[in-house]
Amino acid sequence: FFQDCILKSYFSKHEVLSDSSFRDLLQDELSKFSCKLLPGDPNPQLTLSGLERHLIGEGSHRHLSSTIQLQIPPQSFPLQSCKLVMIERLPSGVFADPFELDHLLHHGAYAAIGVFGDTNLELPSVSSNRSAVEIHMNFKHNTSSGAMSELGIRIDLPLHARYAPLHESGYSEVAFGTPDLLVSCSMEGSSEKRSCLIVPSSDSNRLRTDVVVWKIPCGIMSYTNVVSVVTFATALVSTLVIVLPSVLYSKPR
Amino acid sequence: MTARAMMNLRSILIGSAVFRLVLILYGEWQDAHMEVRYTDVDYLVFSDAASLMASGSSPYKRTTYRYSPLLAFLLIPNSFLHRAWGKFIFSASDLLVGYFIYKILKQRKVAEDLCLYSVMVWLLNPFTFTIGTRGNCQIIQAAVWYGLVVHFRIYPIIYALPIIVVLDPRYVQLGKKPLLVNWKSNTQKPSSQSSEEASTRYNLWTAAKSMFSKERILFGLVSGGTFFLCTGLFFHLYKWEFLHEALLYHLTRADPRHNFSIYFYHIYLQYGHQLSLVEKLISFLPQSIVQLVLVSSFAQDLPFCFFLQTVAFVAFNKVITAQYFVWFFCLLPLILPWSDMKLRWEGLSCVGLWMGAQLHWLLWGYLLEFRGQNVFLQLWMASLVFLLANAAVMAVFIRRQRCSPIFLQMKVTDAKGGVKSE
Repeated sequence: FFQDCILKSYFSKHEVLSDSSFRDLLQDELSKFSCKLLPGDPNPQLTLSGLERHLIGEGSHRHLSSTIQLQIPPQSFPLQSCKLVMIERLPSGVFADPFELDHLLHHGAYAAIGVFGDTNLELPSVSSNRSAVEIHMNFKHNTSSGAMSELGIRIDLPLHARYAPLHESGYSEVAFGTPDLLVSCSMEGSSEKRSCLIVPSSDSNRLRTDVVVWKIPCGIMSYTNVVSVVTFATALVSTLVIVLPSVLYSKPR
Repeated sequence: MTARAMMNLRSILIGSAVFRLVLILYGEWQDAHMEVRYTDVDYLVFSDAASLMASGSSPYKRTTYRYSPLLAFLLIPNSFLHRAWGKFIFSASDLLVGYFIYKILKQRKVAEDLCLYSVMVWLLNPFTFTIGTRGNCQIIQAAVWYGLVVHFRIYPIIYALPIIVVLDPRYVQLGKKPLLVNWKSNTQKPSSQSSEEASTRYNLWTAAKSMFSKERILFGLVSGGTFFLCTGLFFHLYKWEFLHEALLYHLTRADPRHNFSIYFYHIYLQYGHQLSLVEKLISFLPQSIVQLVLVSSFAQDLPFCFFLQTVAFVAFNKVITAQYFVWFFCLLPLILPWSDMKLRWEGLSCVGLWMGAQLHWLLWGYLLEFRGQNVFLQLWMASLVFLLANAAVMAVFIRRQRCSPIFLQMKVTDAKGGVKSE
């Protein structure tokens, strides 16, 4: 269940990340799965009760922290085995380092994590396309209490800012949307009695507390001429500082 | 080498080795326990490329690997022995360079204590030991053939011109060992060697006149042949990716991201715009003029020429990272015995000025990158100050150097078998 990587499948058909074509593909992929979510089912369902988003850190290297609040209904069996899939479509101007994510994977933080799309680590924003991160996480939940239980799952994604396009204010603002979330729980040891939850970005959007914005310092275009002139003037002065003594003092003593 | 001297050099080498071992172990601890890694990100790049090569793939599948495949090959044991293998290799190379410095200075009869101090300038230099133990490979110079060196790191191509200049038949002849000019302290009276030292001012014009001597042609052919052989071999193995990443990238690199170079902000502000021919020329000219003047003035004193050229090349480059400093630090010990600069206070002032300018830049860099403050203008001005500091230090070195040609004029046998001097 949710074994395949949805982003991998998206980028095998598309070169560039586009929100609308991704939404279409997500719908197609998810239609393959059947969840025991019958409309009108009187039993309580797995629901997303809250989504908190924070950008932690200062400077060009930060963590995007997502705390996902789930309400898990009680079951007749004591232990549920659950899987969470989070797809974070990153805005233009930030990127995830695939090698850093590999490092996280080797530390056992997640079952799977990968970044797709433009993963170039060096190019500025104007020369880059968007990328997206898919995280798969397994967890177990004890449901023997007989009542609805709340579970909070926190996911920290390390991100880096690209060199931003020039702006007169000196800062470029990058706003984050919300992730697409898929949760599936079943009886521990079997895939029976599966319940699942699908919350696309447009729905999780309603739950977030406030918009996460990253202010990235950027160059100011009106300085261009001054910077160029002074740069070359300094190069010239430095040249003279080296050339004059070379000519005057190079004779062997 | 006397027993006492061996003991001193040996203790310096052993002490440096132990210190580097401690740093490597500390680095492993810091990587595992602290948020900021000790190990340089480039080391992870080399390691990834090496493990790709070990599994039969191209090392260039690792993005940002822009070096010779030889480096990845050297680090293959990182995958099956220990991930710190490469750091041991780089640190061992540090020690080897220290040993070479000692041997080179000894060949030129430099006094023992000065030799040892010069070795310590390299081995106990904080740039040297941190860069090696963090996993940067600047000091791996496959130094036997110049062509191999240029294949490995392109920048030694700047030494081609002074080498060609110095390969004058008056000083270097095929089949004969060139005579090195020995070191004399500034208090010593001139020895009998001095009467044979070159009295004519050597310049590019003289070089141009006797350009095509057989020594020069042979050197050019062998080094060029080695370079093209290596290039050809690795092109055959790794195709265009090798050529682009290991060679062409370095020739056209213009990084808009902040670095010590004075050009970074100009490149960032102009990014995406086509530069006019005038603009391209202007950025090319200072570097070229300085290199030509340095070669023209100092080619005969080859180590000093190499040192100045390297400092200037790094300082005027479009991109400067801290690893590049090692390129000239390894040459500094080779020229110090000929400098009239006293540590107090001229030497210390140079160190203070250069390091102060760098620390100043790093402060603004930290505010930009780790505090997210828009200090681009201040950071750019700090890079201007850093270039001026480099130029000033070079000027002091030039002023204080007892420029001395590296080779003596040789006696040339004429066609009748008699000996004549030039």
